[in-house]
Amino acid sequence: MSMLKETSGCVMPLRVPFLDAARAEHGTLKNIAVPVLPACDRRTVPGVLSQRACAYYGARWFLAPLKDVVHLVHGPISCAYYGETVRKKKYTVFSTDITEYEVIFGGEGKLLGTLIELAHRFPGYRAVLVYVTCAPGIIGDDVQRACRQAEQATGMRCVPVNCPGFVGPSQAAGHEIGARVLLDHFIGRNDDVVPGPYDVNILGEYDVMGDLKVIRSLLARVGINVVSAVTGDVSVDSLARAHRVQLNVVHCRRTGGLIAEEMKRKYGVPFIKGSFFGITETNNALRRLGEWFNLREAAEAVIAAGEASVSREIERFRRELAGKRVGLFFGGSRIGSMLKGYRELGLEVLVAGSQFGGQEDYQAAWQDVKPGTALVDDVNEEELIRFIRQYRPDVIAGGTREKWTAHKLGVPFTVFPQESGPYAGYSGFLNFARDILAVLKAPVWQMI
Amino acid sequence: MAKDIPIEGITYQQLAIKKMPLSESYVPRDETLIPSGNRTVVMNPCRTCMPFGAMFAGLGMHRGIPFVQGAQGCTTYVRYTFCRIFQEPASIANASFHEDAAVFGGRKNFKHGLRNLVVRYKPDVITVVTTCSSEIIGDDMVSFIKEARKLLVKELGEEEGNRVKLVLVNTPSFAGSHVAGYDRAAKAFLETLAKDRSTTNNKVNIIPGMLMPGDIREIKHMLAEMGIEAHILFDISDVFDTPLMPPQIMPYYPEGGTRVADVEDMGNSLATFALCRNEGGLGARYLEQKFEIPAFVGPLPIGVKYTDLFLQRLSQVTGREVPPSLKKERGRLLDFMADTLHHTMMKKAAVFGDPDIVTGITRFVCELGMEPVAVMSGTATKTFTEDIEEIVSEFGAKPLILNGSDLFEFEEALKEMPVEVIIGNSKGVDISKELGVPLVRAGLFVYDRVGYYKRPIIGYRGGERFLADLVNAILDYGYPGARTEQL
Repeated sequence: MSMLKETSGCVMPLRVPFLDAARAEHGTLKNIAVPVLPACDRRTVPGVLSQRACAYYGARWFLAPLKDVVHLVHGPISCAYYGETVRKKKYTVFSTDITEYEVIFGGEGKLLGTLIELAHRFPGYRAVLVYVTCAPGIIGDDVQRACRQAEQATGMRCVPVNCPGFVGPSQAAGHEIGARVLLDHFIGRNDDVVPGPYDVNILGEYDVMGDLKVIRSLLARVGINVVSAVTGDVSVDSLARAHRVQLNVVHCRRTGGLIAEEMKRKYGVPFIKGSFFGITETNNALRRLGEWFNLREAAEAVIAAGEASVSREIERFRRELAGKRVGLFFGGSRIGSMLKGYRELGLEVLVAGSQFGGQEDYQAAWQDVKPGTALVDDVNEEELIRFIRQYRPDVIAGGTREKWTAHKLGVPFTVFPQESGPYAGYSGFLNFARDILAVLKAPVWQMI
Repeated sequence: MAKDIPIEGITYQQLAIKKMPLSESYVPRDETLIPSGNRTVVMNPCRTCMPFGAMFAGLGMHRGIPFVQGAQGCTTYVRYTFCRIFQEPASIANASFHEDAAVFGGRKNFKHGLRNLVVRYKPDVITVVTTCSSEIIGDDMVSFIKEARKLLVKELGEEEGNRVKLVLVNTPSFAGSHVAGYDRAAKAFLETLAKDRSTTNNKVNIIPGMLMPGDIREIKHMLAEMGIEAHILFDISDVFDTPLMPPQIMPYYPEGGTRVADVEDMGNSLATFALCRNEGGLGARYLEQKFEIPAFVGPLPIGVKYTDLFLQRLSQVTGREVPPSLKKERGRLLDFMADTLHHTMMKKAAVFGDPDIVTGITRFVCELGMEPVAVMSGTATKTFTEDIEEIVSEFGAKPLILNGSDLFEFEEALKEMPVEVIIGNSKGVDISKELGVPLVRAGLFVYDRVGYYKRPIIGYRGGERFLADLVNAILDYGYPGARTEQL
C-alpha cells in the first residue's frame, strides 16, 4: 500500500504512523467514506513481539468454565500448569504429563490409561474433555481412538478438543474449536425439555468479575430467563437443553456468532445481537429483547429505572473525562461495542486495535469511530511504544501484558478483561467510568 | 468451639485449635489414588516447562531478548506469568509457528523472525529457546542459526550482523521442568560466551538460580560488605524491578541485566558459586571442567547455617574476612530468633516448591525449632530426598518427603497430618483455604500478593524478613482474639 494517496485534491495519509512498515496494511486511518479495513486473520509476522496466543490458549479460555466435566490436558505438564488460570479464576486441571518416552513411543497408551483412571475414580463427572496440545499433535497420537476406547470401556463420555498450539493465526482458532466441541458434543442432547416462553441463551458472554450476574438480573427484571451463558455459566445439563429456548442473544460475535448460526441451522433457534456494555447499548439490547418477547413496557421500565439510578454520577464522570484521549487495544471482536462505551463518556478514541478481530468486527468499529481514528490489527510491543510516543494518549486500555509497558512510559492503563468488578449494565458502566477516572487521577502520574 | 476447658491437667495439645473440619462439599478421596506413583494422571502440577527457565535466564541478560522457536502460546503464557509475578514488561519474541511450520519445519520462521527481531530491537544477545514442537519436528537449530547469521550479515553488514550474540538453549518441555531449563541455559551461555584469557580477574562468579530481585540485591549487599567483586549470571534485579522513569530512547530496555562482556570474563574468575544446585549447577561444573575454576554448588544461603557457609566459602576463596557489619546482621537475626522462639518452637510446618529453595527453607524452619511435617519438591531431582533427610536427621524430625509429586498428593497428605503453617508459592492458596492454615509465600511463583519479589529471603536480613512473615502469619491464624493484643 502506498504511503500517501490523493483524495479529492488534498493529500491524506492513509498509513498509520506508528505501524511497522512491513505491516502497513494491518492498519488504516478513517479518512474516507469507503471503508478500508485493516488486514486481519493473517499469520503473525515472526519475531515482532506480537501479543497473540495459541489455539490451546483459546480453547482453554473458551471451555474452562464448563462444569461437571474433567478437563484433561494431553501434553507436557506445562500446558496444564498455565491452563489452570483462565480469566483470573483458578480451575483444577488434569494432565497426562507427556515425557520423552511418550514422545518416542506414542502417548496414546498413557492417554487411554489416564482416561480409564479418571472415569473410575471420578464417577461423579459427566464427561472428559481431552485438550490435544502441540506435542501429541505432532507425534500423531490418535486421540479420537483413545477416547472411543475409553468410552467403550467405562461409559464416560470422552471428547477430544483438537487444539495444538500451531493451529490458526491466533487464539481465535481455539475459540472456534471450543465452540465446535460444544456444538458437536454437548448442545442439543436433551429434547425432553419444553422451553419456557421467555427462555434465552447468551452466547459469547464470559462472566468476567460478575458481569453475568448483572445481565441476568437485568433480564430477569424484564421477565426474561437466561438458560445458559456460553461460556460464562454452562454445565452439561444446561447445554444439553440449550437448543430448547426461544432466542439466542449474541454478545461476542467472534465466539458466539458461530454457535448462534449453527443453532439456527440445526434447531431453528433465531438469534439477535446485543451488547450490555454502555448505557445506550444496554438500552438498545433491552428494547430489542422487549420488542421480541412483547415485553416492551417492562423493558422500558427497567431502562428508565436503570438510567435514573446512574445518570447523576455518569454526568459527573462525563464532565471529568470529556476530551481525554484514549488508545484501545482489545483482544477480540467486541471492539465495536466497547468503543461506543468510551465515546459515550466523551473520551476521544485515537486508535482501536485488536489481537484477533475479524473483518466484521473492524467493519463495526469503522462505523463508530471519528475521522482520523486508526484501526489496527495485532499491534506488537514496539508499535505500542511508538504509539505512546507519537500520540501521547491520556490513558490506554488493553490486556495485562501491555499494562506494564505503558506504565514504564508513564501512561495510565486500564485492563480488559477488567479486574475490579462488573462492567455490564447500568451500575457496571459506573464501575467502568470510575476505573478510568481512578487511573487518570492517580497522583503518581504527576510526580514522574 | 464453645467447649468448656477443664481446669486441671490441660495440655497444649488439647488447647490447639482443631483445623481439620473441611468444607461441607469435601468427599474423602480414594486412598489408592493419592500417591502420584500409583496413577498416570497429574493433578495440580507444581512445576512448569523447560522453556520457562530458559526465558527467565535470557531476560537476565542486558539488552537480551529470548526468541522462542515454537507456537505463540509458548511465549504468551510465559510472559503472562512473568507479568503476574513481577508486574513488569517481559519482552520475548516468538517464531509464530502455524500449521505450515509444524509440517515443513520452522526454518523460514526462524530466519525471518530473528532478522525482524534484530532489525527492530538491536539486542546484544538473543537466547534461542526451543520448545516441544520444534524439538519433535526436528528443527536443526545449529544450522538455522548459521543461516540466520548469514542473512543478518548480508542485510546489516559485517559488523552489525555479527554483533548480536546468539545462544542456543535446547529445552524440549517434555524432558524436564523449568528448573532444568534454567540449568541448561546457564551451561549454554557459559559454553557459548565464556573465554579463557589466562589472567585472573580476582572476581567470583555467582549463578543465583531463579531468585527474586530482592534476593539478588541481598547477594550484592553481602558481596559489597565483604569487599568482593563478582559477575552475577542472569542478574534480573534491575530487569524485573525497574524504576518508573520514562526512557527517552527506543527501543525500551531495562537498565539491568548481565553484560555479555561479563559472561565472557567468567572464564577467568576465582571460583563459581551456583547457589541452587539444580538451577545453575551445570554451568558451574562446566567452568570447573573447562577452565579449572573451583565450583561451589549449593546450598542456597537461607537461614543461619547456610548463610554462614556461603560467607565462609567466599572468605576462603578470596582471603577476605567476614566483616563486623555482617556479623552484626547475623547477631540481629539470632536475637530475632530468640525473641520469637515461643511462637515458632515445635510448630508444625509443610514446605513445597522448587527443590533448592525448599531445601533452604526446610533447614531454616528446623533452625527455628519448627517441625517440618511434609516437604515436597515439584521437580524430581537426584539429591532432594538425601538433602532433606540429612537436614532433618540433625534436628530429629521425620517429615514425609515427596520428590517430584503434585499438589494433590501434598494436600491429601496434609489432611492426614495437620500443620500450623504452609510455606510455598501461590499455587498453595487453595490448600491453605481448604485446610484453614496460613500460607507463607516463598518461591518463584508468587503472583497473588504484591511486593514479594522486592524483599529477600536469603542472607541474614532475608532471614529476618522471612521470620517476621512466618510468625505474623501464625499469629494471625493461630491465636484466639484475646491473645493478639500483646506478644
